[in-house]
Amino acid sequence: MSALLGKPALNSAFFYGSDKNLNFGERLTRATDYLEFKTRIGNAAKACETIERIVSESRKFELYKKYFPEKWKNSRASFSRRGFYFNYSERANEFFTLVNEHLFPLFDGWNEDEETDFEEFSIFSLNIDFCCTEIEYEYISLAYSAGLLLFTNNEEIWEFFEQKYNVRRKNLPEINDSAHKNLWRDKRTASSDPLLNLLEIIDHTTGNPWFDTSGCCEYGETYRWDERTINLLSDSFREAKRMLDEMDEMDVLIKNDPEKWLKRLIVFWNEGVLPDE
Amino acid sequence: MLCEENERINPAIILAEELMRKTNAGGFYFDDIERTKIVLNESRREIETVNRQFEAFEKLPASPSRIVPKGF
Repeated sequence: MSALLGKPALNSAFFYGSDKNLNFGERLTRATDYLEFKTRIGNAAKACETIERIVSESRKFELYKKYFPEKWKNSRASFSRRGFYFNYSERANEFFTLVNEHLFPLFDGWNEDEETDFEEFSIFSLNIDFCCTEIEYEYISLAYSAGLLLFTNNEEIWEFFEQKYNVRRKNLPEINDSAHKNLWRDKRTASSDPLLNLLEIIDHTTGNPWFDTSGCCEYGETYRWDERTINLLSDSFREAKRMLDEMDEMDVLIKNDPEKWLKRLIVFWNEGVLPDE
Repeated sequence: MLCEENERINPAIILAEELMRKTNAGGFYFDDIERTKIVLNESRREIETVNRQFEAFEKLPASPSRIVPKGF
């Protein structure tokens, strides 16, 4: 349990605010919460659930205090009343909202449902899953479509570039079936890094959970509430956003000169080196 | 078999009551949380034992008794 909550300070305590500071509404909610609990206290299994709920909420309150100390100090959200996600108190709901707004997108995708149980939560991938999704190239990033062309040499993508961006296929080199073996062996440079990132995003091999997680037919990895997980998801989400911004920049470059950039990508894929500008 | 069992309140019920009271009074100490792991394990073992006993009880064949309990 110590590992669950981190090493406690000597005087470690989970104080949420004494009764004296509570308004009438909060005291009433706590009292009815307690009475409701008393009606089912004879059941040992329900008692176990109650203990788990109290411990689980306490852990979230500790994390709230750690990550958002100022918000915690000023918060008036109830510790007892159920919030929008009704398995949790208003205060825990407030914590989830702050995580969603400031650290990483918690509420996206299937987590929008008010019945969601966040004890072991999944994140919603920022990537595209190919297993069931029919891709409409007009609505995805241009750089992503270009990268996808390298992996699949798909006729539909060729048509998309030909019709929408006037790309002449005959002006471009043939795409090899697989990428050059040196592509991932050579040291990354400032110019090769964004292209490799793009290919890794498409291939779901970035090492970043926001891109590699599959969100289509099955839930991906699940996460629990602890500092290590929050730091991991926050840092990786920041990195994911940076990579998406990079992709946006690449979109602009491709849009301005699609043939030049497609050629650059194909040469990079085939030969493992970037052609000179 | 059931008569031989110790009669006591399941420890989770006692701890849940205690934590609810402390939470309502403003909070609790880390030591309380430390106890929960032990108590939950103990409590779940007890619940499993009771469930096993019930399952075994249900498998018992019916047998007539020489004494009819009061009320029947």
